[in-house]
Amino acid sequence: MASERPLLIPSPRTPAPDSTPIPFPTVAAARRSSSSSSRRKTAPPHFRNLSVENVDFSAEMHSSTKTTFSIETISRSASKQQPQPSVPRYGSRRSESVNMGSSHKEISDADARLVYINDPERSNSPVRHPNNSINTSKYSILTFLPKNLFEQFHRVAYIYFLILAGINQIPQLGVFTPAASILPLAFVLGVTAVKDAYEDYRRHRSDRTENSRSASVLSSSSEFQPKPWKDIRVGEVIRVQSNETIPCDLVLLATSDPTGVAYVQTINLDGESNLKTRYAKQETLSKPPETLSAIIRCEKPNRNIYGFHGNVEIEGSKQRVSLGPSNVILRGCDLKNTAWVVGVAVYTGKDTKVMLNSSGAQWKRSRLETHMNRETIILAVALFVECALVTILAGAWLGRHRDKLDDLIYYRKRDFSDRDVGKYDYYGIGWEIVFTFFMSVILFQVMIPIALYISMELVRLGQAFFMIQDESLFDKERGNRLQCRALNINEDLGQIKYVFSDKTGTLTENKMEFRCASVVGVDYSGDPATAADTGEEGVSVAVGEQIWRPKMSVKTNPELLSLLRTGERTEKGDKAREFLLALATCNTIVPILTETDDPSIKLIDYQGESPDEQALLYAAAAYGFTLIERTSGHIVIDIFGQKQRFDILGLHEFDSDRKRMSVIVGFPDKTVKVFVKGADSSMFGVVDKTLNVDIVQATKSHLHTYSTLGLRTLVIGMREMSNIEFEEWHSSYEKANTALFGRGSLLKAVAMNIENNVSILGASGIEDKLQQGVPEAIESLRRAGIKVWVLTGDKQETAISIGFSSNLLTGDMTQIIINNNSKESCKKSLADALAITKKMTGKSPVGHNSIGVDSKKTPLALIIDGTSLVYILETELEEELFEVATSCSVVLCCRVAPLQKAGIVCGIVMLILIKSRTDDMTLAIGDGANDVSMIQKANVGIGISGREGRQAVMASDFAIGQFRFLVPLLLVHGHWNYQRMAYMILYNFYRNSILVFVLFWYVLYTAFSLTTAISEWSSVLYSVIYTALPTIVVGILDKDLSKKTLLKYPQLYGSGQREERYNLKLFILTMMDSVWQSLAIFFIPFLAYRHSTIDGSGIGDLWILAVVLMVNLHLGMDIFRWNWIAHTSIWGCIVATVICVIIIDALPILPGFMAIFHVMGTWVFWFCLLAILIAGLIPRFVTKAVTEFFMPNDIQIARELEKFGNLNEDPPVSEITTRTLSNHQQQTMP
Amino acid sequence: MEMDGASSSGSSGAAQPSLFLSKRSRAFYRFTQQNLPACRPALTPTLVITVFLLVGITFLPFGIICFRAAESVDELVLRYDTECIPENYRGNKVAYIKDDSISKKCTLTVKLRNQMKAPIYVYYELDNYYQNHRRYVKSRSDRQLLHGLQYKDTSSCRPIESSNGLPVLPCGLIAWSLFNDTFTFDVKAGKLNVNRKNISWKSDRDHKFGNDVYPFNFQNDTLIGGGKLDPSIPLSEQEDLIVWMRVAALPNFRKLYGVIENDIDADEVITIQLSNNYNTYSFGGKKKLVLTTSNWLGGKNNFLGLSYIATGFCSILVAILFALIHVKFPRPHRDASYLHWNRKSSATSR
Repeated sequence: MASERPLLIPSPRTPAPDSTPIPFPTVAAARRSSSSSSRRKTAPPHFRNLSVENVDFSAEMHSSTKTTFSIETISRSASKQQPQPSVPRYGSRRSESVNMGSSHKEISDADARLVYINDPERSNSPVRHPNNSINTSKYSILTFLPKNLFEQFHRVAYIYFLILAGINQIPQLGVFTPAASILPLAFVLGVTAVKDAYEDYRRHRSDRTENSRSASVLSSSSEFQPKPWKDIRVGEVIRVQSNETIPCDLVLLATSDPTGVAYVQTINLDGESNLKTRYAKQETLSKPPETLSAIIRCEKPNRNIYGFHGNVEIEGSKQRVSLGPSNVILRGCDLKNTAWVVGVAVYTGKDTKVMLNSSGAQWKRSRLETHMNRETIILAVALFVECALVTILAGAWLGRHRDKLDDLIYYRKRDFSDRDVGKYDYYGIGWEIVFTFFMSVILFQVMIPIALYISMELVRLGQAFFMIQDESLFDKERGNRLQCRALNINEDLGQIKYVFSDKTGTLTENKMEFRCASVVGVDYSGDPATAADTGEEGVSVAVGEQIWRPKMSVKTNPELLSLLRTGERTEKGDKAREFLLALATCNTIVPILTETDDPSIKLIDYQGESPDEQALLYAAAAYGFTLIERTSGHIVIDIFGQKQRFDILGLHEFDSDRKRMSVIVGFPDKTVKVFVKGADSSMFGVVDKTLNVDIVQATKSHLHTYSTLGLRTLVIGMREMSNIEFEEWHSSYEKANTALFGRGSLLKAVAMNIENNVSILGASGIEDKLQQGVPEAIESLRRAGIKVWVLTGDKQETAISIGFSSNLLTGDMTQIIINNNSKESCKKSLADALAITKKMTGKSPVGHNSIGVDSKKTPLALIIDGTSLVYILETELEEELFEVATSCSVVLCCRVAPLQKAGIVCGIVMLILIKSRTDDMTLAIGDGANDVSMIQKANVGIGISGREGRQAVMASDFAIGQFRFLVPLLLVHGHWNYQRMAYMILYNFYRNSILVFVLFWYVLYTAFSLTTAISEWSSVLYSVIYTALPTIVVGILDKDLSKKTLLKYPQLYGSGQREERYNLKLFILTMMDSVWQSLAIFFIPFLAYRHSTIDGSGIGDLWILAVVLMVNLHLGMDIFRWNWIAHTSIWGCIVATVICVIIIDALPILPGFMAIFHVMGTWVFWFCLLAILIAGLIPRFVTKAVTEFFMPNDIQIARELEKFGNLNEDPPVSEITTRTLSNHQQQTMP
Repeated sequence: MEMDGASSSGSSGAAQPSLFLSKRSRAFYRFTQQNLPACRPALTPTLVITVFLLVGITFLPFGIICFRAAESVDELVLRYDTECIPENYRGNKVAYIKDDSISKKCTLTVKLRNQMKAPIYVYYELDNYYQNHRRYVKSRSDRQLLHGLQYKDTSSCRPIESSNGLPVLPCGLIAWSLFNDTFTFDVKAGKLNVNRKNISWKSDRDHKFGNDVYPFNFQNDTLIGGGKLDPSIPLSEQEDLIVWMRVAALPNFRKLYGVIENDIDADEVITIQLSNNYNTYSFGGKKKLVLTTSNWLGGKNNFLGLSYIATGFCSILVAILFALIHVKFPRPHRDASYLHWNRKSSATSR
């Protein structure tokens, strides 16, 4: 049992074998249902009953032999009709305990959904439930336009552009012709709309196929008839065959298995490929569905896929039978190893859990975008200043010419065309000034880059494509690629400063391996030997002519093995056997047989929700205690070749309060024993104090040893039950089990009552292996200046040992351990810790920003346990904790109690602590449901799409297969994304402002009347055609450094953390550059063409060509890698621009007709162009050269190394200097 | 760390996917792994110095050539807007120009210093004249110029759209303000012939101004803006109008008046008869007459030459500066010990 693990929702975790398990207890069953023939067809001929012939006492339960498949009702119905009172159904029990995670309140009729089985009419009144059609699409043909536009206009920038386009339509303010003014916005909206429409079309198509799938529904004529999925209604009874997909959420009524078991695979739902057992209720099982009339009360539809709460009331009986999550099968699951099931639809269509869960990741905004908004505001201010300047100057000009305006040749205020002399388009100086202001806003509007938003979207899309395609992020084992679930925070991956990681399943494989055992005070952890070494065949079980073998072999300890084999009569031997029996019985694992190539050999695959239990069972099997069969009432264990049957009389499931589980076992000799298994902290509390203290002490010391080895420990205890005790327990258990109210707490009380005075049998140590490459990955992250915080439920010793083995802790680190039981001592140790950090860092640790750089100081590691953390937060010492924690390069939070509250405390509070006090970027990585809140809170949430279900992945922004992929994801793709996006934003600002400045300079020479020399079409097409593509290509494809270099020098990641590629300074420099370039572009032709016959269109064409060439060459100068795509886009764009300009000038209806040809025909044009480009680019080139010459940053040096091939030689000074400067003191605080 | 597919993307060593892949899918593989062969320019000192030297040594001669070309142009600029006003009207120029009863004839003489070779271009130059003013630029109808009166939608021409209830053709402020000063040139030998044909763009004559569109109801208003047009000549042959309608980019502009196709000798005295009709006095606009020869670079404007010389000079200066600094304080190129974390550690270990 995963006792050490924070477990919020009892989410199943098991390895994912790809083999198809053969059906487990499939008793040949005949149902009175009408379609037995089809059942026969689907049942594979090799169906075997796992129960074994030589089990001498199984007659009453199973009369079947292998390959029996008869139509007659066998003993099954009898055993169903009169179930032995002493054998409570396992299924019902399980459902109750699973339910403990959720609420236990009874649902009132008002809150409930009433489902009348087989009566859809009544079920759908008075409230009509949605039918089973699903509609994941966002738009229909009619609603597409308004809805899509509405969504797009959530962007403030678009509203700004819309307003400006609107103002432009006022005749007095019309700077552009109406068509030209709307074009850019329409273009941007159009591209997005096309993208959305395509996506929605695909959703429509998949919905259609999904909705028209066929299901077998019980019709009024009491026959199952095919019906498309979309027509299924709540209350209808549906039959699902083996390997079919469940069409809607069903409450199981009956299955092909006489005990009501069904197996489902939930891979579509939560990604887990192991089989889950679901149960039909006894009460419904016994009646054929067509005659069944009952009411199901269940909760309203909700998102919790691991919870269901309801009851069923069969007509004619007063009893209400409770229903739990194990009684429902959800839409999207596949039925496996079960010939058929019959169920009633309770949630359909959009009410189904899978649909309610289908919403995407929540919306986050990247750091870069937040900064970008700041710069956008600066640009808006600059825009305002420009407009104000123009307005003031225009006002002054008008004022100066006030008396001349009437007949000023180029103004002509007076209009004689009508009889009465009026004013032409003139409303007084005041209004003219107002108009000028608005017109200048319209003219200079592109200062705010409209295409930037859509470019960013496209770039992120492209970046995501390359991240998904990247081989080094491809999990070959499971065939998982990276999933990009959030498309707007790609670049945040390049700026991470803190990584919060869950341990189990994230750093480790979550694939447990039994390593050592302590049995009644004796440690058997010495040299283990594999079965092959000892030449034993003891790990296989002979069943008839077949040999069954556990799927995984475990190394065994020969000493313990021989004790088990030979010392049968000694007390020691008995205890050891009981210990192993406890391992084999005290679990919820189901053995499933899988085929091998050799037909006589089959593998036993232990399927279950807890990997720890699996490990224990494989271990037990290796020691000769092989669990070979589990039905709901009993289990069969092969003990050294002898099959024995044990009745499972009761089972108290694990819960996070008790941190233990127990099982009440009826032995063949009619004695009853309780086996308890749990975390040491909880187990030593219920130990029988009168018993041998030495054993307890020895066990404790062994546990300590195990945990320092980094093993997960479990303590196993046992207690015999007298008949009276058993009767007492049984009656209260039954009572609790059938109670209508507070069943969960009643059951817990029963469990607490029985789980005491246990004698310690021993303890086990299970190794959770580190994932491949984790130490290297952590080393890389550390060198990259990322602080790694690991949260684990392990004990402190285990945590530290894992810390060392995963390279999280190193010998040269100073450890600060805070591990206290009271607030006062916490306060004290925190103060001490603060003093240490101050001493170590040599300064006030408040200046947290520089700490990451301080590699020459001794690195600090903070190890803090959950309780201390709670105390510290309760006593408002957050500030101190923050200071200590941020000066440590590693933080280990151990003993994070599995309670929901505490689990959140560690991850979230630390996260919030960081987020509220610094701007540093945080990343949370986890694999389980318990990591969800952490993943959502962090700036970047990463889910491991591993064994643990999909909750974490669903909540994450990115999902990767293994922890080590974090390194290429952050160091390579994060770095690239950040630098590309940073460059692209700056470039877009530059690109648009340069055009605005050129327009602005011209306005100064037009009597401030806002004329443009550049054709309005050119200025409109500028940001959407002339210059759009290269920046997108560079944003997607350009790489400053190769993957190899980035991985070799993780420190290069610091450029993103320090925000080197996008900051106010760079922004201002870029803007200054753009002002200079615009001056060059404007004034060189201006001066060259002064006193000439040049016409407006001609010089305008020169200007626009110069601008486009300039910005494209500027981009070209900054491109790191010129591949053919970069070449194509840049030269292509320039060519496209020339073509566009020529086309515009070839329209006789525009005033600039043929201007381009006339101007191009002169030498001045070409000389001007060359002078503009050289003069414009020289300052930037000089700056670039100077910085690279004299103050190169790491990236530039690394690029030189990369280009000139010194990369493979190590630098004279090793970059792992922290090691050489180590000082091995360890500070441990009491 | 896993390094497969991570080789440097230089053209030298790219990751090799499985050999059995086709050429095309290999290319696609390299694309998806972002390993396309690429050229990686690096700003090495040599490159930087070479670039600047190159710019310098191309720009300097270019500049000198341009400068010489501009200097070789002979240009005669004659400002006549004040000189052509009789002394007694100098105080009230506007009144003079508006008074139709006064003769606007004016004679100027100028003595050439150098010989001017044909073709000699005659321009009039206006200063402080915002032909690029927004109201002015918009006030025209290109369709009407091409299609004539059958094109009715001339609202863009306001305020000169119609007069006396009839449409104006050509409409609009631009046409209305047609420049109407005239010049004739006499030398000792007689009258200099000024060719006033082909002074406008051929494309304009052919495609923008209709050859069957005749001026109509033009300058019939109370307020006369400028020149009148002969209603019997189609617009496509009204070259003064066509030149005028090509709106100047800057408030200081020249327009071609004609071409003198004879050389004028040095020390020749030219007598210019001009009629000073055009009113720039109301807004203080200057009027100049320009006689200039031309060469491949255009007119007499030495700005380009100077800017080329300056740029080239600066480039060479920068190149020398770079070279000096590079010699004096060389930074070992491609030295990993310059990476900041290495620098720091080497400093502490010493």
